Amino acid sequence: MKKLYSIFKQGIIFDNPLLMLMIGLCSAIAVTTNVSNGIGMGLAMTFVLLFSEIIISLFRKLIPSMIRIPIFIIVIAAFTTIVDLVMKAYFPDLSKSMGVFIPLIVVNCIIMGRVEAFASKQDLLSVIADALGMGLGYTWVLVGLAAIRELLGNGTFAGIQVMPASYEPILFFILPPGGFFVFSLFISLNIWLKKKMEAAARRKELVSKKEAA
Amino acid sequence: MDLGKILLLSMLVNNIVVMRFIALCSYIGMTSDLGQSMGMGYAVTFVTVLATAATWPIYHYILLPLDLAFLQILVFILVIASLVQLVEFYLKKNIPGLYAAMGIYLPLITTNCAICAVTFENITNNYNFIQSIVYAIGVSLGYLLAMILLAGIRDRMKTSPVPKFLQGTPILFMATSLIGIAFMGFAGLIK
Amino acid sequence: MKKTKLGVILMLYASIACASLAIVYAFTKDSIERQSEIQLQTSLKEIFPQASTFELVEDLTSPEPNIKFEAVYEVKSDAVPLGLAIKASGPSYGGNATLLVGIDLHRSIAGVRIVALNDTPGLGMNASNPTYYVDKVKKVTFLGQFEGKFLTDPFEVKKDVEAITAATITSKSLAKIIKTAGDAAIAYMDQKVMMASMEVEKPNGETSIVAPPTASTGFPIGSSEGKSKEKIPPQAGGK
Repeated sequence: MKKLYSIFKQGIIFDNPLLMLMIGLCSAIAVTTNVSNGIGMGLAMTFVLLFSEIIISLFRKLIPSMIRIPIFIIVIAAFTTIVDLVMKAYFPDLSKSMGVFIPLIVVNCIIMGRVEAFASKQDLLSVIADALGMGLGYTWVLVGLAAIRELLGNGTFAGIQVMPASYEPILFFILPPGGFFVFSLFISLNIWLKKKMEAAARRKELVSKKEAA
Repeated sequence: MDLGKILLLSMLVNNIVVMRFIALCSYIGMTSDLGQSMGMGYAVTFVTVLATAATWPIYHYILLPLDLAFLQILVFILVIASLVQLVEFYLKKNIPGLYAAMGIYLPLITTNCAICAVTFENITNNYNFIQSIVYAIGVSLGYLLAMILLAGIRDRMKTSPVPKFLQGTPILFMATSLIGIAFMGFAGLIK
Repeated sequence: MKKTKLGVILMLYASIACASLAIVYAFTKDSIERQSEIQLQTSLKEIFPQASTFELVEDLTSPEPNIKFEAVYEVKSDAVPLGLAIKASGPSYGGNATLLVGIDLHRSIAGVRIVALNDTPGLGMNASNPTYYVDKVKKVTFLGQFEGKFLTDPFEVKKDVEAITAATITSKSLAKIIKTAGDAAIAYMDQKVMMASMEVEKPNGETSIVAPPTASTGFPIGSSEGKSKEKIPPQAGGK
C-alpha cells in the first residue's frame, strides 16, 4: 500500500509531467485560457492515461516487443476517440472551445511516455496509482495556470465574475505570450518547491541518523 | 481563403509554436543547438507535407463516404507513424545524404504534435487539397522559424546573467513569451 | 513466418479497437447530430422569441463570393411571417466564422448568434463572450449592438460599429457577414413582398395593408397611413 502511495505521489510534484519532465506541454498551456477548459482537459487526459495504462498493463504479456509501439498507439488512439466522441455528444461547448487539442491527446508525450516506461512493465494496481498521480499532477498545473490567466486576464473564475467591476482585465494574460509567461513562473515555483522538499527530506534523514547513532 | 493568406497566417500570424503552443516538447528539447534545430525543422516540413498528402485523400475518399469519420484519430496517427517509418527506411537506403541531414530526427517526429495538428486541422478548416498542402508548408516553416529563433537566443543566453529563479527552463519560456509578443505584430499583415 | 504472426496480432488489436469505437460511435452518434440541431433551434428562438416554425428557403444565395449562406429559414409565428434567419459563414481572423443572422420585417437586424468562431481567445473570441461589453456602461456585447440596427446603416467599424478592443479584423469580418446577410435578406423580402401586415384605415373608411416604415421612407407626417386601426370599444349598452 505504501508503495502504491509513493508511486501516486511522484507524479504530483517531484516528477510532475509538465513542470519537471517537460512533456505533454502542447495541450497544456493552450487550453488554460479559462478554468473550465483546464479542468476539462485535465479530466480528459487523465481518463485516456488511466485506461490506456490499465489496458496495456493487463495485456503486457500479450504484446510482442517488436510491434509494441503501434499497439500502444492503437490503444491510446482508441481511448482518445472515445473521449472525443463523448465530449462532442454531451459537452459540445467544451468540445468546441478545446478544438484540436482533444484529438492531440493521442500524441501527448505523457501518455506515450508513461505507457512505454511504466505500464508495459508494471502490474495493474501500480499503473492505476501512477496514472492517477500523473493525471492529478497534470490537472493541478492546468487549473492553477487557468485560474491565474482567467482571473487576471478576464476578471472571472470559471465564468463567474470575481474581480470587482472596476477591474480592467489585463489582456496580456489571456493571450499566448501571457500563457508562456505564467507557465515560466509556475516552473520556477515548482523547482523551488522541489528543492524545499528535498532539503526537508535530507534534514529528516540527518536527524534520524543522529538519533540512531 | 486564398493561398497567400493561408501561408502568411499559418507561418507568422498564427505561428504554431509561439502563438498556439503546439510542438513545445521538441521546441524546448532540440533548440540547444542550431544545427539540430534546422535538421528538425526540415524533417518536420518534409513529413508534414507527406502526411497531409496521405491523410487528406484518405479522409475525403475513404472515411467520409463510408461513414467512418469517427476512426479519424486512429487512422491518421497510424498513417503518420507508418509514414515516418517508411520515410526513414527509404532515406537510409536511397538518399544517404538527406538521411545524414535529418534522418535521426524522424523517430522523434512520430509523436510531434505539429504534424498531428496540421492533419486534423486540414479537415476541420475544410481546406481542399491544395490549400491543405499550402497550410502544411506554412505551419512547418513557421515551426522552423521559431526553432531557429530560440536556438539563436539560447546561444546568446549562455553568456548572459540570468536571474537565479529563472535559470533553466523558465527563462526559455520567458524568451518565447517575448518572441510571441513580437509575432503578434504580424497581425497587421492581414487586411 | 514470425513477421506474419506479428502482422496478424497487430491486425487483431486494430480490429478490437475499431470495433469498440464503432460501438461507442453508435451510442453517441445521435446525440452528436442532435447537438448542432439543438444549438440552431436555441439560437433561432433567442433571436425570434415569438417564432413557432422555421421553414427552409431554397432560393436565397449569397451575392458575395466568399460569404456562404449555409441555410436560410423563413421564420413564422403560426402562419404570420416574422422575418428571415440566415446561417452565414465568411472569412474571419482564424479561419471561417459562422453566424446566425436574424432579419425582421422592419428591415432591421433581429439578432445575431455565433455558430462557429475560431479566433484568438481574449481578442477575437470575445465576440462570443457574454461578459465582454463593447459599451461597458450600457452593458452591450459586440453582437448585441447589432440588435435593432437598420440595414441602411453602413455597418463599418469605427463608424457605426463598435469594434472589439485589439480585434479589428474579427470585428470587420463579422460586421461584413452580418451586413451581407442582412442586405440579401432585405432584397429577398422586397422581391417576395414580405411585409409586416398592418391594418390601416384610409380616409374613405376602407382598410388596407401597408408596409411598415423603413428608415429611409419613414412615414409622411400627418398622413393617415401609419395610424393603426384602433378598435374602439362599443358604447356602453352594446354589450
